[in-house]
Amino acid sequence: MLEYKNDIWKALLALAPTLLLMAVFTFYPMINTVFSAFMEGYCYGVWRDNGNTIGWLSHYGETIMQSSYDAEGNLIGFTETYVGIGFGNFVTIFKDPTFIDALKNTAIMVIVSVPVTVIIGLLISVALNGIKKLQSVFQTIYFLPYVTNTIALGLVFAVLFSSRNGLINSFIESLGGNRVAWITPFAGKNPSYFTCLFVLMVYTVWNGLAFKILVFLSGMQSIDKQYYQAAQIDSTPRWRVFTKITVPLLSPMIAYITITSFIGAFKAYSSVIAIFNGNYGPRSNPNMLITVVGYTYDKLGKMSNVNELGRACASALVLFAIIMAITVVELWVSKKKVHY
Amino acid sequence: MEAEQKNEEAKIEEPIASNDSTNVDISVQQSVDVRLEGLTKVFLDSTKKETKAVWDFNVVIPAGKLIGLLGPSGCGKSTTLYMIAGLHNPTGGKIFFGEEEVTHTPPEKRGIGLVFQNYALYPHLTVRENIMFPLENMRPRMEKEKMKALAQEMAELVHIGDLMDRKPGQLSGGQQQRVAIARALVKKPKVLLLDEPLSNLDARLRLQTREEIRRIQKETGITTIFVTHDQEEAMSISDQIVVMNYGVEQQMDEPQKVYEEPANLFVAKFLGNPPINVIDGVVENGELKLINGQVIDEIDVPDQEVSIGIRPEFFTLDENLKLDVYIEMVEHIGRDTMALCKIDGYENSVRAIIPSYKKLEANQNIKIGFRRYFVFNRETGERLK
Repeated sequence: MLEYKNDIWKALLALAPTLLLMAVFTFYPMINTVFSAFMEGYCYGVWRDNGNTIGWLSHYGETIMQSSYDAEGNLIGFTETYVGIGFGNFVTIFKDPTFIDALKNTAIMVIVSVPVTVIIGLLISVALNGIKKLQSVFQTIYFLPYVTNTIALGLVFAVLFSSRNGLINSFIESLGGNRVAWITPFAGKNPSYFTCLFVLMVYTVWNGLAFKILVFLSGMQSIDKQYYQAAQIDSTPRWRVFTKITVPLLSPMIAYITITSFIGAFKAYSSVIAIFNGNYGPRSNPNMLITVVGYTYDKLGKMSNVNELGRACASALVLFAIIMAITVVELWVSKKKVHY
Repeated sequence: MEAEQKNEEAKIEEPIASNDSTNVDISVQQSVDVRLEGLTKVFLDSTKKETKAVWDFNVVIPAGKLIGLLGPSGCGKSTTLYMIAGLHNPTGGKIFFGEEEVTHTPPEKRGIGLVFQNYALYPHLTVRENIMFPLENMRPRMEKEKMKALAQEMAELVHIGDLMDRKPGQLSGGQQQRVAIARALVKKPKVLLLDEPLSNLDARLRLQTREEIRRIQKETGITTIFVTHDQEEAMSISDQIVVMNYGVEQQMDEPQKVYEEPANLFVAKFLGNPPINVIDGVVENGELKLINGQVIDEIDVPDQEVSIGIRPEFFTLDENLKLDVYIEMVEHIGRDTMALCKIDGYENSVRAIIPSYKKLEANQNIKIGFRRYFVFNRETGERLK
């Protein structure tokens, strides 16, 4: 609380460095993204030679289009940094099968990974909360992925699920099964969409558990023990204790975790990259599991013509709109279901 | 199920007026006495240091009575209650409900109702759902309608019948307390345990609620044990009180008897407000003397150093005027007058309560008498007279 009116200046002064950095690196790009998404043929700059414009520069400084001149030496074509305003970028990306694939993949990942991580995280937390000995040891073990580099973990998973000498295949074989072409081809068989998605989901779920367990466990430990004693005296079965006491009393945490998981899952990118070694899928189909964020990055990085930046922004905006809509729905649901 | 019930009814050959499923009986199944034999609880802390929370506790709590476990904080009364509930495992000793030993029976099988100090009402459930919660765990399953009827009946008993659809957060402390009692009683336990039932209520509500607890206990006839550190609370509603200190039972009797005839100095000091006056004295050759040498009575006790306990209301101005005192201060408290008196040779003043019509004035020497006094061994605190 501000005690005096004058303090507002002190407060602003204290906030200034952060605000300044955020203005430059967060707010400006965000606003610019919205503008760029609606600009057709957006161009970053003009490359001049002897006073003559001979090309336009992309964000990365490469010449992306040679200019042409008319008979009097005047420039034909783009004279401004963009040529028009409209929904052209959106129309284009929705016509792009890769973007539709990205949407589909992202949706599947969200639908699979979010409920699975939340439920498994909840169950592990309950189990951890129930044990007294070695609790902190297990807690540390489950928390390790959180502090480990995503890419490194992805490499480990790639090795685990390697078709030729991966641990998983060796295990399957030792049980008498056949080796599976998980994410690399094996015996002339290319990995299928299902196996790739499976590996990705195992990785995502395991990687996401750490933080969820941390939050759930601390939430459970703050629940008054007397509720459980009261339930015990009333001979409440364990399952009922879980569904009728733990889950409702933990509902604020569950809501928080669900919302942040949805947002995180929609932004899936590095997990895919990590498992497929820089691609979005196995060598046979490098775009198999492309995500919306992946699509956006591709458009930014592999700009081959003027319009790509606008399309990247458009796809980012589409993702933003989806996340926004889902979050609003979740908040609306949690208002009714969460017991604060 | 119903056929079985009818059979039983036939056996006991008692005409039952109505037997529709919504007719609910609020009386308990049967009330049992609770017997504690040498009950002991020793806590070990991380340095292996022992704390005797409860030590060799022997008590029989008669069936259908309301018993108050009274003692200062840390005296082991809550531990005793939790051992009776089964939430704590005793280190030694036995617990019986009637003839059945329940020492190692898990709490859910003991048939007890426990009201926690902070009530432990499930905040996300309505009052009705809270009261129905224990019933929903019962096997074989009870019909929903019957559960609702039972819950309503219980709620009526504790006078919260019109609050059934509220959440605990929307209730006052007293109302929450009633919900907690209803929830504890709805499954018809053999024993009702209350942990500091009034400590979370304000003074007025406390007075009301304790009478309410008494009424509910009388109506249901359930053996009830409650824990409190508040003597007034314990004395006002209990059939008997058990005074505890340092995990050891000091005295068990009817409240007034414990007050009138304390077993030892601790009990005498613990009960009574304003507290009892304790002054040093000595017994020599059958004479009880003050330390200033004044003989105040003849006494049939071996020679020793003693503490003399005189309750403020034991002082009188009418008879036996033996003590020379100097009145330091006079407080008029309505019906009575409280006088702070200094006895010659003593550092601390004593409090005397005298009826107000005896006009007392401060800063004068008077003679004062006393109707009664207690004599305790100064070291052990044991009552001598």
